[in-house]
Formats: sequence, structure tokens, C-alpha cells
Amino acid sequence: MSAQLQAAETPPAHPLAGATLSGADVVVQVLADEGVEVIFGYSGGAILPVYDAVFRYNREHARPDAREPMPLIVPANEQGAGFMAQGYARASGKVGVALVTSGPGATNTVTPVRDAMADSIPLVVICGQVPTTALGSDAFQEAPVGNVMGACAKHVFLVTDASKLEATLRTAFDIARSGRPGPVVVDIPKDVQNAQLEFDGASRLPIHGYRARLRAVEHSHLDGETCAAFFGALKQAKRPLIYAGGGVIAAGAAVALRAFADAFGLPVTTTLMGLGGVDTTGPLALHMLGMHGTAYANYAVEDCDFLFAVGARFDDRVAGVAAKFAPRARFIAHIDIDPAEIDKVKSVQWRHVGALVPALDRLTAYGRAHGVLPPLADWHAHLAALKREHAMDYDRASDLIQPQAVIEAINRRAQGRAIVSTGVGQHQMWAAQYFDFRAPRQWLTSGSMGTMGFGLPAAIGAQFARPDALVIDIDGDGSIRMNIGELETVTTYGLPIKVVVLNNGGDGMVRQWQKLYFGQRFSATDKSLHKKDFVRAAQADGFEWAKRLTDKAAIEATIADFLAFDGPAFLEVMIDPDAGVYPMVGPGASYAQMITGDFIRARSAPAALDATPHMF
Amino acid sequence: MRHTLAMLLQNESGALVRVAGLLAARGYNIDTLTVVTTADPAVSQLTLSLQCDDAGAMQLLQQMRKLIDVLQVAHLPAAALAA
Repeated sequence: MSAQLQAAETPPAHPLAGATLSGADVVVQVLADEGVEVIFGYSGGAILPVYDAVFRYNREHARPDAREPMPLIVPANEQGAGFMAQGYARASGKVGVALVTSGPGATNTVTPVRDAMADSIPLVVICGQVPTTALGSDAFQEAPVGNVMGACAKHVFLVTDASKLEATLRTAFDIARSGRPGPVVVDIPKDVQNAQLEFDGASRLPIHGYRARLRAVEHSHLDGETCAAFFGALKQAKRPLIYAGGGVIAAGAAVALRAFADAFGLPVTTTLMGLGGVDTTGPLALHMLGMHGTAYANYAVEDCDFLFAVGARFDDRVAGVAAKFAPRARFIAHIDIDPAEIDKVKSVQWRHVGALVPALDRLTAYGRAHGVLPPLADWHAHLAALKREHAMDYDRASDLIQPQAVIEAINRRAQGRAIVSTGVGQHQMWAAQYFDFRAPRQWLTSGSMGTMGFGLPAAIGAQFARPDALVIDIDGDGSIRMNIGELETVTTYGLPIKVVVLNNGGDGMVRQWQKLYFGQRFSATDKSLHKKDFVRAAQADGFEWAKRLTDKAAIEATIADFLAFDGPAFLEVMIDPDAGVYPMVGPGASYAQMITGDFIRARSAPAALDATPHMF
Repeated sequence: MRHTLAMLLQNESGALVRVAGLLAARGYNIDTLTVVTTADPAVSQLTLSLQCDDAGAMQLLQQMRKLIDVLQVAHLPAAALAA
């Protein structure tokens, strides 16, 4: 018994402990130990030793079916690798890994690293670097990765002491996935990759400050008094509402959130990043709130008297005018794992810094034990009426193909089970509004950074995370151009991804703003005369199924054929170039001033448009 | 008004850049800055002052705590400076 206990307390030594490995082999071994099952990256001079080590690892550890245990997926551009790693991380919840060379290889990944930081996505990006003796000498393919990435990432390590390489890599994974997740960059000079090192199999960097703060947050407990304050306010409330953000997805708290909401009959609206945190088809699910949220969600925010923000941060696309956000809420409660988000934008009456799952479980248990069951029948009826009277809608009578109809047709077949990635702009918002999401990690979108070109590489990464899932990239003609080189990556690896380009002949979202706020001066957003033939481009990159949809009557049959194709498929849809994204809470406007467009009923006449082009 | 932040920092290359960069990215200008070694060679002490409102100072304090290299950080009350 005691021997067993002791064995449990001391983890067995790593089988390679004490062995001499090159730095490059140390890198690959730590990746393997961390459970990395795919690497996205592009080779180059300064990372050659690690690429060689991956090659040897895969040859020596080939599976019985000859599959490689850690395949290297090669993009057209390192930005693609970074977004593939993100797509993998977002779809799986595991840390995504990108492996790139020094200089341009590293700087091409700056955008996905910053994007991952902004959306709290765990990544480890390993960059080759010029040898330590050449650092700062303006050497070939040298870039100041520490400085550049330090401003964008959760953390960056420059490994100048080879003896710390192993501990640094393991620590990079710790940092990426712990607390509020984020990207960690490890910059490894070539001589460190070539150094002969003694592998120990367990070392980590102390990083005392970070680990102490993390422990405090992870072990913070909701005491009875705090729970009582929460439920005291909830019992007073007649119109409570949960506002759930991407933290619910990151924390794996969807089950806990659903249990909590169900226990007390609380309606839920989610942010763009929180879609899938609750089943969007549920009766008390209000879909997305915010600048392009559903009218009924935004009206519910206007009407609520108790707001509970869960893993959300009142960002400017939700609370553009913080003082007018949820104006009737007498009590706002906020849970987040990041202390810096509490009271940052909106000061709240109740706060808890900690992990979401234990906090929500504790609240559910406390409320149940104290027999809390707020009588919310009137509120539920009010919300049902809002959903009915202010339902999403669009120009169904038009002869032109409406983008919303295309997404509805795809959604009827996907039934809320597909993994959907997007670029950024109008198509992204239509996809967010018109798709159902039944589970977390089905919705992959660049929320905070708003990076055009995200959709295609993210879909590729997601397909590696979920080989059996239906993965659909809903893209725009502007966004897909940004990383169109990755079309070839889809066919190179034979991925059955379905790529949809909603083509409105330009940058539709910017055009919409130019229409509303810049006197219809469409500066540099009209691409209707551009020469690109997307279908031929897809065919040239090896898409056997590549078609253009121009006839409204053919939507259903074409979508059915497209989704049924067993392999990569590409569908360009020529949509109404004047289709707009509504509802819209304009910049500097409150939810009460929301414009609902011509097809969604507004609750009251919106205030006259205030032309404020300086707002973003 | 003037606010002062004092912190213990891991003595790593790039640590000072991250602190300074955090302030620069938020549009703050550093008025005074001192970095000294401590009895522990792995730890530096950094003290800086800048002009900002109280809410801004509190947010900066929280953001500094997110830096991996920061061991401890404190907001020094104005009285401590006068002494």
C-alpha cells in the first residue's frame, strides 16, 4: 500500500532520462511528450536541425499502418501555418503547434500569434533563429523575434542557454494552456538546436510569479457569503440574463454553464466567441448579442434587470457604449479567470476571479441546496415574443441570391453539427447569425483581431483535429484572397473541406460602412472588375468539385451536391452585392438605437443615424 | 496624477522591454524609471512613475501581473513617495 502510494507520488522517470540528445531532438521529444499529434510549419535554414529531427522521429516511430505519429503539414505561407495551428487548437482544445524558420518565417507568423492572443487560443510557435554568436549582427534571415513577438504573444522565450531548452519548451506548453490561454513563442538559435544535451524528461522553468498567481486563481473558491449575495440579487430579479463569452469555450465550461442555466431557468446570449457555449437551438438561447447580434438578444440586454457575464469581457463589439450597455440591469455579476478583465470596461456589483467550471458548479449546487427557483414565466414569455416578433430575416423575394439563404440551406443539412470557419466581414456575421451551433468548438472565427484570411487555413487545422467531422469554410471573396495559396494545401493533403466563397464583388463590410457613414464613396472596396476566376483557381489547385452558383433556384440542389461530395469541394456563390448585415448597432450607438434593416422588425423607430466616421 | 509602480522582475533579457512595451502600447509615457539588481542575481527591482488616472493605474497593475517575468508588483501610495 505505502509502496503503491509512493509510486503514485513520484512519476516514473522518462525512458530517455539521462540520454544525450541534440537540441533539435530535445525539441521533438518534448513535443511528443506533450501529446502533439500534428505540426504545421514551413522549413528554412535556421530551423533545419529540428525539421531533420521530426523526419527521423516519424521514421523511427511510424505506426503499424505506416502513418506518421507527428506529421508536418506544410502551408503556402507561414501565416497559414499559424492559422492552421489555431484551427487545430480551436477545434480540439489542445495546444496548436507551428514550426517556422527565422526572419521572414517568424515575422509571417506574427499575425496568427497576435490573433491567438486576442482570442485566447493556446499555441506554441517554435522559430529557428540565427546562431547565438550572430544575434544582433543583421545576419541573413535575422529578425528581432523577441521584441516583435513579445508585444503580441502571451510570452516569448529566446533560448540562449542550451541547457535550459528542455525546461523552456515544457514551460511554453504550461503557459500556453494555463489560466487565460494564449500563444507562446520559443525562439531557438541554430547552435542551440545542434548542441549536445543531457535529457532529463521532466524539467520546467520556475517562473515563480506566474505560477503563484495561477495557483491563486485556480484555487479561488466561491464562499457561502459570495454565493448568498449572488442568489440574493437573483431572487430580486424579474428579468435575469446570462451573457456568455469565449471563456466558456476555452474553459470547457459549456456543460457547467448549461447545467447552471437549466437549474434556474436563465436565458443565455453569447458573444461571437461564445457561440456553441449553449445549444443555440434551445428555447432559452438567444443566439449572439452585440453590434450584429440578433435583435431579440439585444432587446433582452436592454430589458434585463440582472446580467451575469461569464467568461466575457464587455468588448467594444458588445458594449460599444459601456455606460448604456444593459441600462436597466440593477445588478451585474462577472466571472472571469483574468483579474484584469474585472471592472475594466464596466464596473460590476458582484465579481469572482477564478476557473469557470468549479465556480458555475458551486453556484448551481448552492442555488439548488437553497431551493432557488425564480418565478420567471413572464420573462420567458417576453423573450419568446421577442424571438417571434424580431426574428432574423432578409430579402426573400429578391431575384438575387441572398447570402443568408445559402447559409440556411447549408445549415439545414449540417444541423448544427458541422465545424464552421470564416474569414472576416459580412460573410462572417451572416454565418454567425444563421448557423446553429449545438456544441462548443464548432465555430472558428477571428473574433477580436478580425483577421481576413483566417477561414481557409483554420479549416485545414480543424480537419486535422477532427478528421471525421464536416468542416466548412464560409469565406468572402476579399478574405479568401488573403490566404488563397492554402487551397492547394487542402488538396495536397486530401482534406474533404467544403470551401464556400460568398462573392459580392468586393469588401462588403467596409462597403456597408462606406454606405452608412462615408456618403457612399466606395474607396478601394469595389472588386467587381477584378479578373479573378475563383472556380478555375480552385480547379488549378486540384479541386475536382469546383462550381459557381448564380441561379437562386439552384441553391438547394447545388448545396446538396456540394456537401455530399467525398473530397475537397469549392463553391463560389454570386450573391446580392447590396445585401447588408443587420441588425447593426452602429459605432457609438446604444442597443436602443440599433438599426434592424428592412426585413427585421424594430421595436421602436431607431434614432436618426449619427454620422460618426471617426468611431471604429 | 503621478502614479508609481514597483516590481520585482526576473532578470531575463527582454523583461524590461515587455514592461516598457506594455506601457507604450497603452499610450503611456514613463516619467522616471529605475532598474537595479537585488541580492538575488536572478531578480531585478524596477520602479517607474507615470501620469495617469487612478483607474488607469489599477488596470496597469493588473496588466503587469499578466507578464510572465513579473514576480511581484505593487502600486506605491503617494505618501510613500513623499517620505
